[in-house]
Amino acid sequence: MMSRSKLATSLFILSEANFFAILIIAYVYYHAIGGGGPTARNSLDPWRTGAFSVSLFASSVTMWLADRSLRRGRRRGHQLWLIVTMLLGAIFLVGQGTEYAHLILSGVTWSANLFGTTFFTLTGFHGLHVFAGLCALAIVTLVAQTGELTERRRQAFEAVGLYWHFVDGVWIVIFTIVYLWAFI
Amino acid sequence: MNQVMAPGAEAALPASEPHEGLLSWVASVDHKQIGIMYMLGALVFFGIGGIEALLMRIQLAVPNNHFLPPDAYNQLFTMHGTTMIFLVVMPMLTGFTIYLVPLMIGARDMAFPRLNALSFWIQIFGGIVLYFSFFDGGAPDNGWFSYAPLSENAFSSLPGQNYWLLGLAAIGIGSLSGAINVIVTVLDLRAPGMSLRRLPLFAWMAFVNSWLMVMALPVLNGAIVMLLIDRLLNGNFFTPASGGSALLWQHFFWAFGHPEVYIMILPAFGIISEVIPVFSGKPIFGYGFVAASTVAIAFLSLAVWGHHMFAVGLGHLSEVFFGAASMAIAVPTGVKIFNWSATMYGGRIRFTTSMMFAVGFLLMFTIGGLSGVSFAVVPLDWQLTDSYYLVAHLHYVLFGGSIFGIFAGIYYWFPKITGRMLSESWGKWHFWLTLIGFNMTFLIQHLLGMMGMPRRVWTYPALPDWAAFNLISTIGAFLLLLATLVFIWNLFISVQNGAPAGDNPWDAWTLEWATTSPPAVYNFDRVPPVHGRRPLWDLAHPEMADEAMERAARS
Amino acid sequence: MPEISTLNPLSPFAAQISHLFVAMLVVLGAIFLLVLGIVTYAIVKYRDRPGAPPPRQTFGSRNLEIAWTLGPIILLAIIFVFTVQTMRASDPPISADDPLQLRIIGHQWWWEADYLKSGVIAANEIHIPVGQRWLLDLESADVIHDFWVAELVRKIDMVPGHPNHVWLEADRPGTYFGVCAEFCGNEHAWMRFRVIAQPLADFQRWQQAQLRVPPSPTGGAAAAGLKLFEHNTCVNCHTIAGTPGNQQIGPDLSHLASRTTIAAGAADNTPGNLYRWLKDPNSIKPDTHMPNFQLSDADAKALTAYLETLK
Repeated sequence: MMSRSKLATSLFILSEANFFAILIIAYVYYHAIGGGGPTARNSLDPWRTGAFSVSLFASSVTMWLADRSLRRGRRRGHQLWLIVTMLLGAIFLVGQGTEYAHLILSGVTWSANLFGTTFFTLTGFHGLHVFAGLCALAIVTLVAQTGELTERRRQAFEAVGLYWHFVDGVWIVIFTIVYLWAFI
Repeated sequence: MNQVMAPGAEAALPASEPHEGLLSWVASVDHKQIGIMYMLGALVFFGIGGIEALLMRIQLAVPNNHFLPPDAYNQLFTMHGTTMIFLVVMPMLTGFTIYLVPLMIGARDMAFPRLNALSFWIQIFGGIVLYFSFFDGGAPDNGWFSYAPLSENAFSSLPGQNYWLLGLAAIGIGSLSGAINVIVTVLDLRAPGMSLRRLPLFAWMAFVNSWLMVMALPVLNGAIVMLLIDRLLNGNFFTPASGGSALLWQHFFWAFGHPEVYIMILPAFGIISEVIPVFSGKPIFGYGFVAASTVAIAFLSLAVWGHHMFAVGLGHLSEVFFGAASMAIAVPTGVKIFNWSATMYGGRIRFTTSMMFAVGFLLMFTIGGLSGVSFAVVPLDWQLTDSYYLVAHLHYVLFGGSIFGIFAGIYYWFPKITGRMLSESWGKWHFWLTLIGFNMTFLIQHLLGMMGMPRRVWTYPALPDWAAFNLISTIGAFLLLLATLVFIWNLFISVQNGAPAGDNPWDAWTLEWATTSPPAVYNFDRVPPVHGRRPLWDLAHPEMADEAMERAARS
Repeated sequence: MPEISTLNPLSPFAAQISHLFVAMLVVLGAIFLLVLGIVTYAIVKYRDRPGAPPPRQTFGSRNLEIAWTLGPIILLAIIFVFTVQTMRASDPPISADDPLQLRIIGHQWWWEADYLKSGVIAANEIHIPVGQRWLLDLESADVIHDFWVAELVRKIDMVPGHPNHVWLEADRPGTYFGVCAEFCGNEHAWMRFRVIAQPLADFQRWQQAQLRVPPSPTGGAAAAGLKLFEHNTCVNCHTIAGTPGNQQIGPDLSHLASRTTIAAGAADNTPGNLYRWLKDPNSIKPDTHMPNFQLSDADAKALTAYLETLK
């Protein structure tokens, strides 16, 4: 039987998946229709974003390593891997921020056309989730520095880890649809 | 007797510090207090939504009326629909769920008591945001469905629409977190022996309902986010002028909106499934089929949204699919109706007010369900949709169904919640006035729709019979006002002077009746043993224990 | 008996739907009576009486469950067959070479009718020849509207960016009421129209009259009215053939005086109402997009006189 907090987190993730599904459907629908103005093909750089994506994917691995350290009772290792995870997540956000700045300066804004609207909505909401995940990780990391490792804390760590993997998984889907599909 | 501790009692609860007066409610994380607050909040909004309805009915009482200007009328029908759906029926049923589910499964509280309080206050906050619009340029006036592009800046530049979007987003988040809490509570906190096959049907339906919320509410919030981006950041999602699709909004909205219809009725089914057996003196007929049909309805409800769009020109092929799926929902719904009827059959029926509302529900909801089938028959939908026939249909489902079910539940559980009985004589006045007023208001609207009266019109020309029929409907609405005043009066006097209820005034069987009325903060001293679906019956009749009898009947 | 338009069909399409509707009302009514019968029997027979024996505890019956699952499935399967059949009969498929006759464009809150063969542009009154099957193209200039004439034709939405098509036909000459059936903003209620079905000769006469450029009045109040129309903002929205006004933002007024109502059904087309409309449009149709130009009494009279010449 799953722990109570893991169960609740899984349900939360299910609802989040439904939320992202709607945003993805909107993106795909308008991408398929096409139209004038900027498109994924002529505005995006899959190599650059791909490089930053590797950082996010790597953070899932370090998250897993953090969990493993915790299970094996290595609390220092746990804290260390959490910090690495946060750094990798932050690098991804920096990548997204600079990408946005570049796009907006070259006139690709959320109001420019349907590509702009759907692209910024979808990737922006994902970025917001990464940011929320970083906040949760920061809290967890601080908590991990102090006090005893109670069962409640252990469950909280697990829940945040689960959420982080989800944020990662969603990006695999988004990256494939937004960045790779446009160039096939 | 091997009684056990209520699950969840081992951990000390967050706010056990005793507060006094109002603070004891505002700071509460007790599921019973939060449940009561949900219900009281819903009751306040029921009054507001009712007044909005009466103002509309006054405007429509005679043709070419100028009692209200069109923009006021449109604000009223938008707020009436939004209020009744999101601030009355949903929170009222959530209130029942939050109050009753932990008691029914023999738990100490919800799985996450603090989250429970947060869900409630977010939901109230959403309601306040929605109503604040009246003070900032006027309430939203594009209907509870807010079809694009009418709801876009080009056609609705006032901020009312933004308040609608933000208010609903908050309510959606509050309801969603509440639903997650209910699911975890049911899965994790059941008393020993309370397997899912022994779960009381109300808890079953609240459980299934919560899953439906987890599936449907994020869709609403996704659509809301997109419309907000259109309105606040000049996005292009639903603006045909810049290539956006007006129909995509409808697909998203109804992909949420049709499950929402079932979110508003499933817990009412649950209430009826508790009330009818108790007052018939028999267990529910076909427990497994009633529970399974609920699951079937929940799944099917996710695949029928297109029947709200038969007039938009989807093409016959998709219309045939959505028509067939919508017809399919009639099957599990019919199973329920027949099982409730069969439960009464051969019983010993006590006509308490609660039971009268339950029987009223059975018949009124059947009318609503049957008129609903005429919308699954695609060509009939082409004629009847967006006419008063549809207004009549939806009120038979949501008033004749959900609200009748809620009244049945209030008369049934009021003694548990307050420790006092509601007056049965006032209750009977309430029931008959409601039944007559309801049918007078809405039955005739079927005819108005068949005569060609479209819905959402602030006035209408003096065509033959339209004036007379509308006047009858308005008089019926005032009977409903009278009925509601009787109900409020009954609540008011009974909460102070009602006869003491005792633990189990109805000879009911589920665990909430095993504790005191009202229950202590910790719910149970000891939870009775659970060996079947009716633990208190098994205790009182050990020689006729349910599961042994059922086995015997089968072999 | 009230006049129930959905059950008094006057076109082959509406008739198909009406037949199915009547059959469904009978079937649904019978099911309701069945449930009502069971419930009434149960509450009369099994009502709690003093001294009644404790009820037997029964838990269900597999056979009954199967019966009331299968029964509705069979019934619904039959209904489904008729549903599909009636869909095809009441909304026949359109082939590429069916000629479009008429384009109806929904505006907040009036109807534009473009006759694609003759070039006639009408508003709020759609004349058709009796017994002819016309293919309509339905579009919107702003928000979603819905075209519905209960006696003749199903509802069909007019969605911006998503043109729809529907067949229109009337069996008998007459005037049929149509409405917008999708909420479209403040004056959704007064977005009504009329379909006027005429024998072919009458229809052709009407069409000829609509094509004529109305003669400019040469003297009196009407001539003053024409001047007012031409030199004010009227021409920014309205068309009158033979004047500089050629916009379709508001209804085409070239033959306004030939219509029975003004403001999409909000008032009868009488000189008195027209004058009131020009003086204060909101008094007839609140929130209409027609502005109040604060016309002097004399100007409003002159404009009324001019518009009354536009037969």
